[in-house]
Amino acid sequence: MECLMDEKDHEILQILQNGFPLVSEPYKAIGDKLWIDEHAVISRIVRLLQNGIIRYVGPFYNSRKLGYNGCLAAINAPEDRIDEIAAVINRFDEVTHNYLREGTPNMWFTLLTKSREQQEQIINTIKTETGIDEILIFTSKKFFKVKVDI
Amino acid sequence: MEYLDETTKKILKALQNDFKLERKPFKRIANELGLSEEDVISTISRCTDEGIIRRIGVAIKPQKAGFTSNALTAWKVPQEIIHEVGSELAEMKEVSHCYDRECPKGWDYNLFVMIHSQSKEELDEIIKNISSRFDLKEYKVFNTVRELKKTSMKYF
Repeated sequence: MECLMDEKDHEILQILQNGFPLVSEPYKAIGDKLWIDEHAVISRIVRLLQNGIIRYVGPFYNSRKLGYNGCLAAINAPEDRIDEIAAVINRFDEVTHNYLREGTPNMWFTLLTKSREQQEQIINTIKTETGIDEILIFTSKKFFKVKVDI
Repeated sequence: MEYLDETTKKILKALQNDFKLERKPFKRIANELGLSEEDVISTISRCTDEGIIRRIGVAIKPQKAGFTSNALTAWKVPQEIIHEVGSELAEMKEVSHCYDRECPKGWDYNLFVMIHSQSKEELDEIIKNISSRFDLKEYKVFNTVRELKKTSMKYF
């Protein structure tokens, strides 16, 4: 894994994670710090995207400040119905993440909606379509961090 | 969203849907919207200060960055120390997500922490260290089996 990324890539990612330069030529500003030119910066980022080390470059918005309600939800899917239940849940654009995990409950997903009513509606639809009546809902009270450090 | 003016909304929308790896990303967005580059940059900068934009940056795949084992952990943390614990955990590079959450009846584990590490053994070690460092005895560990969905929200 390590060989997919060298020291310079690592430094570029650190700069990107800690503060994208808000200037006319941001990649030049990054390159100036690392003694490489802006084309090298851009082509390294393109390569990291192609390698799958990074999956997205762009803005991250604060969903709450844009009027969205976020919650984490969990359902316990029987072993032989995992794909079927995942398909019901993943169909919603409002479901942004879904992971199968060890333990009970075993399927954990996040939901971003414009209102509590919409959140309830989606949860109720999932309950009806899967026939599983227990879905745990954890609304966020305070967030301390959302970021992968490297 | 209602409190944002139309120009700000247009800029945020263009930034989300049309951010490209190019020499002058803000200039092109400005041209397309009929604004000046300075206006675009200053709006983005203001939205960052106001916390509407968390950051412009990259989404890293933890597995590819060398983190192969990860788990969602949930901790029973009293409200009196939640700020201290949450802030300190947020400083750890192994922690990607850390949220204090409202819990349903019968569930006592309010602090949700996503932890990444290079091996299962190291992961167990990190969890044990957190437990002893903050004297948190009650917690649950949900090791990741596989990703079923991961997308970015389209807000606009």
